[in-house]
Amino acid sequence: MKLTRRDFSRLAGSGLVAAAISKLFAPALAQNKPLRIGIIAPRSGAAGTAGECGIRAVQWATERMNKEGGIAGRKFELVIEEETNPKDTIERLRRLILQEKVDAIHGLISTGVSLGVAPVAEEEQALVVMWDGTTQDGVKEMMPNSKYVFRSTDNECEAVMGSLLAVKHFKGKFKRVAGINPDYSYGRNNWEAFKQILARYGVETEFVVEQWPKIGTMDLTSHIAALNAAKPDLIFSSMLFADLPVFMKQGHAAGLFNGVKMVLPAAGWQINQLKKEFTPEGIIFGHNTLYFDHPQASPLQKAFVQDYMDRYKEAPHWEADRAYFALATYKAGVEAAQKAGGKWPTQEQVAEAMPGLEVESLGGKGRFRKDKIAEQVFYQGPSTNTNKYDFPTLASIDTFQAEQLQKPPGADFWEWIKTAKMPV
Amino acid sequence: MTELVDVVLGGTFHAAVLFLVAAGLQLVFGVQKIVNLACGSFYALGAYFGITAVGLAIKLGMPPVLFLPVLVVAGLVIGLVGLPIERVLRTIYRRDESYQLLITFGFLLMFQDVFRYLWGATPRTMDNVYLAYGSAQFLGVRVPTYNLLVIAASLAIAVGLGLFLERTKIGRIVRATAENRDMAEGLGVNASKIFALVFTVGCMLGTVGGALVVPSSAASLDMAVELVVESFAVVVIGGLGSMRGALVGALVVGLMRAAAISLVPEMEMLSVYLVVVLVLIVRPAGLFGKAAA
Repeated sequence: MKLTRRDFSRLAGSGLVAAAISKLFAPALAQNKPLRIGIIAPRSGAAGTAGECGIRAVQWATERMNKEGGIAGRKFELVIEEETNPKDTIERLRRLILQEKVDAIHGLISTGVSLGVAPVAEEEQALVVMWDGTTQDGVKEMMPNSKYVFRSTDNECEAVMGSLLAVKHFKGKFKRVAGINPDYSYGRNNWEAFKQILARYGVETEFVVEQWPKIGTMDLTSHIAALNAAKPDLIFSSMLFADLPVFMKQGHAAGLFNGVKMVLPAAGWQINQLKKEFTPEGIIFGHNTLYFDHPQASPLQKAFVQDYMDRYKEAPHWEADRAYFALATYKAGVEAAQKAGGKWPTQEQVAEAMPGLEVESLGGKGRFRKDKIAEQVFYQGPSTNTNKYDFPTLASIDTFQAEQLQKPPGADFWEWIKTAKMPV
Repeated sequence: MTELVDVVLGGTFHAAVLFLVAAGLQLVFGVQKIVNLACGSFYALGAYFGITAVGLAIKLGMPPVLFLPVLVVAGLVIGLVGLPIERVLRTIYRRDESYQLLITFGFLLMFQDVFRYLWGATPRTMDNVYLAYGSAQFLGVRVPTYNLLVIAASLAIAVGLGLFLERTKIGRIVRATAENRDMAEGLGVNASKIFALVFTVGCMLGTVGGALVVPSSAASLDMAVELVVESFAVVVIGGLGSMRGALVGALVVGLMRAAAISLVPEMEMLSVYLVVVLVLIVRPAGLFGKAAA
């Protein structure tokens, strides 16, 4: 067949038109496809329970939000990857970006991992909204000007609040203070913050013993013996994971808690494992940003807690709230950016729109500051065992805003803690 | 004085569990000359299976005080997993030690996925046994009765194992096989059966240890690796292949750790490995090990 110049022109012309048409309608076609949100969360090891709780919450939220039209009119789906060590997690992050071509990545619980992941996300220009991860090296913020990476509230918030409540509820009732905290920066900084706050409020104390078990130590008999020998009036512990229930069980059996006051700012993470039979009442018990049994809970929280407890036969903890908050702020950011630009926004535009947008999360209202660090509501209070569950709840609820508990942008934590206006 | 008793009891409890795992390691090495890195997996397997067994006992309506014997039986039963594993290990008995290390390390990693598949990735705890036995006063110190029972059980197993090896016919055959396998076979000993027996008993020591410790702590995917590290400290101190070495090594590690935690908590691991380094320099074969010819 002979191809004439006229035939060629006609073919080329129709090709150009087809290309132009596909270009013209590409965003519309893309918008018909569901959004893909990558989730990176631990599903095994010490933080496995926390990761699982967060994943359950985003799955619940996905179903609910999709029923209501999704994000800016687009349905979305989750692509779940496991958070392990920094190196492997970075590889999974890259896979989500390059192969799965996700529109955003949520998750990350360990600051040890998120510190490594964050610079890679910035380099790849990928929008990352962390559940519980920060970019703090100790208490120092390492990425004050991040463009794409949104971080959780500072790690020390719960310790600051627990310390303030120790002053509020226990001042004058203790002198000999012991600490048993996980031996990494979280535990060390929490203990130091606690000591600084007691000093600031002029609480006369004698620090009788400090214990630093490494994470995952399941035989704490010798640590408990050392605590018992020091005869403390108050024990402060920011232990996490399975370590805390093991400590409580072994401590109870050794008579450690008789007449001793306790401050456990991170206890809510292990709520289901802290059985009444070995957990005394009156502990300053931290639930961080979600107290599942709040009598004045919002309809959103009530619906979530009801569904969660019906389905999983256990109480949700704050990781559920962090996961929901990440999704809700992302949704708000996409919708705001789309409204402002009149078209589907880029990740950069979403990242620019997100700071300052207030959203309703499971535990209350929250937002990201301009430096992309979260501000949420914190719940703690003295515990009681008089309830319908097999673990403690709160006898009374103290509620603080993150603005009252975390250093402002650019501030030095140790200087801030000495001079900040505290809510107690 | 009470502080000292507290430290000694805490250290002895840790040593009691450590001894069981290290004894299994020693027994297998002593007879089969295999450094069994999977010993930590047997310990974890016992812990997980113990939780399942107690769950079953609860469903059957058994009272909590019977859970301790249930755990011991569970440890012994699941220890039979040693039989098929030994069949696999037979293929590398005559090969270089590096093959043995690699294959047992492979088992260690594979078991982690087995635990993940069967019992899930999150740590599992058991609340109804540890406190069921109450507490006892011991030289002015309140100590969980369960800890004392574990120490007693571990001692009983040590004595029983000693009697088995020293006073029984099979024990003598085991020792003869350990001393010279070819000579024993020449005298009519079925070394394959002895190896299967020894490996299974070694496995049972680990599984019983895991089952006994889980009521006071938790079963987790990481527990296998953690215990292997400590067990090797015990073996280096006590001497590879020596049962008495396992007992003394476990006590040294348990008590050093407890003393360090009480006096200088930051030195917990350093104190143990300081002893390991000293032993390696002064007495490389360990306190009760035989120097290489």
